[in-house]
Amino acid sequence: MKFYSVQVEERKELGGYTLLRYRWNDGPVEPGQFVMARAAGYPVTLDPFLARPFSFYDYDGEVAGLLFEVRGRGTALLDLAPTIQVTAPLGRGFAIEADLGRAALLGGGVGVAPLKVLGRRLDELGVPYDVFLGFADAGSAVVAREFAGAEVATMDGSVGTHGTVLDAVVGTLQDYPAVYSCGPNPMLAAVKLAAGEQSLCQLSVEERMGCGNGSCNGCVVPMRGGGYVRSCVEGPVFRAEVLAW
Amino acid sequence: MRERRTRVDLAVELCGISLRTPLIPASGTLSKEALGEVEGVYGAMLPKTTTPVARAGNPPPRVGETPAGMVNSIGLQNPGVERFLQDLDAFDLGVPILVSVAGDTVADFGGLCERLADDDRVSAVELNLSCPNVECGGLAFCAGPASVEEVVAACRVAFPGKPILAKLTNDGVVENARAAEAAGADGLTVINTIPALTIDARARKVLVRGGLSGPAIKPVALRAVYDVSGAVRVPVVGSGGVVSGTDVAEFMLAGATAVQVGTASFVRDPQEMLDEFSAYLQESGLGAAELAGALRDIRPTLTGGRGR
Repeated sequence: MKFYSVQVEERKELGGYTLLRYRWNDGPVEPGQFVMARAAGYPVTLDPFLARPFSFYDYDGEVAGLLFEVRGRGTALLDLAPTIQVTAPLGRGFAIEADLGRAALLGGGVGVAPLKVLGRRLDELGVPYDVFLGFADAGSAVVAREFAGAEVATMDGSVGTHGTVLDAVVGTLQDYPAVYSCGPNPMLAAVKLAAGEQSLCQLSVEERMGCGNGSCNGCVVPMRGGGYVRSCVEGPVFRAEVLAW
Repeated sequence: MRERRTRVDLAVELCGISLRTPLIPASGTLSKEALGEVEGVYGAMLPKTTTPVARAGNPPPRVGETPAGMVNSIGLQNPGVERFLQDLDAFDLGVPILVSVAGDTVADFGGLCERLADDDRVSAVELNLSCPNVECGGLAFCAGPASVEEVVAACRVAFPGKPILAKLTNDGVVENARAAEAAGADGLTVINTIPALTIDARARKVLVRGGLSGPAIKPVALRAVYDVSGAVRVPVVGSGGVVSGTDVAEFMLAGATAVQVGTASFVRDPQEMLDEFSAYLQESGLGAAELAGALRDIRPTLTGGRGR
């Protein structure tokens, strides 16, 4: 893996999240692909040690964004460091089926991240879509303002519909021939169930990762037919039907 | 006029195998998908441990970060030795290939060695006697010198003419090292991950019960290499928390013939570690092969009298 030390261009507070933008011109990015990032230091920061995976939030060919929530030392340092170390683009993103018709994009919490760059791609392809976002509370729901026209739900009912992201869906998810989703795994399992078997449903899973390049087998998800598959190389986006949950 | 320039000699010899650099990837830390970036860095290849039949591995979560390290519980997920051999050509980067093997029984280890013995692509085997994440194999075989000796002896018979490395855990490492040497091991890899646990206090759940790796364990590994290399005649491969070229030098000064890089390759380009190590050699005026035993101090021991 190549590790790039890149300058942070901008940090934007979005309620409970930080949107960090950094210069990136090392190749095209597919929606749903991810980056391994950590605060840079010489020769390497020993604690925390591992990089963390983040979906590409947006990318304009020069500047890329990643969205995160400060949860521990790793993300706290990411929130402060003038330069960060990144490896990207990694993994398999969403396989866009442009001819299917209207798409539903569902994001939960910080998992809304890849829907931004996905929405832009769908715009380019002329694919119509609706965005549904679920959050815990008003603080984390601030990021929804970055998604024009999105339907929002919060678990505490402080913003939008009271409930989960599925409660924000107008009508039924089964009306959408294509469903793209990212969020906590229990949410993805619920989206899979709600989408039914008629939709082309693609889920971007959230797993803890060690390496990000397929080496450590740490980030696996269970497969429907038994066994595990690595979310960093074979994923992080999977067709819903191949996952066990 | 000829430019005066010192050439850094990175080559070492491990159990009769010539390595163009002393760096080896630790088993389970370099997949075939990641090979593209490491050409020229490593002196040998060492793919993830293979077992007689496929193993699904442990349920997630499998990794947890800890101060200056990580705890993993992968559970030797692998496709089994037959599939492993079908894919082995991917690891041919023009350097010797060492194969890490593990099993649940002595017969498993012996059978794997027999299967690999005639494969010309395999330069040596590393017996994973100490995986902390496989109850049957791990506990049975890191339990003590008697089982280490039994496994190594069986493999010695099954794998004639090519080197066997025994990978040992830190617990009882000197006794296990002596037992492995006595049973015919040609070299020792010291150490495997250290048994460890992470807990989510808020959720009151165990997150990962597995093995600790990363810089957190470096001093422990260094001590083990130092003690073992003073206790046996066979070469020692140092492993545990190597992050920099200086770390590589420290392990070799402690007595290691070669050094494995594992977890650190997730966050650092191993080429940088090799460059730093080259700079160290340049400065010290020594070749890589001269570092083992190049410590200037007198070996301090608790019992006294056990010198090199």
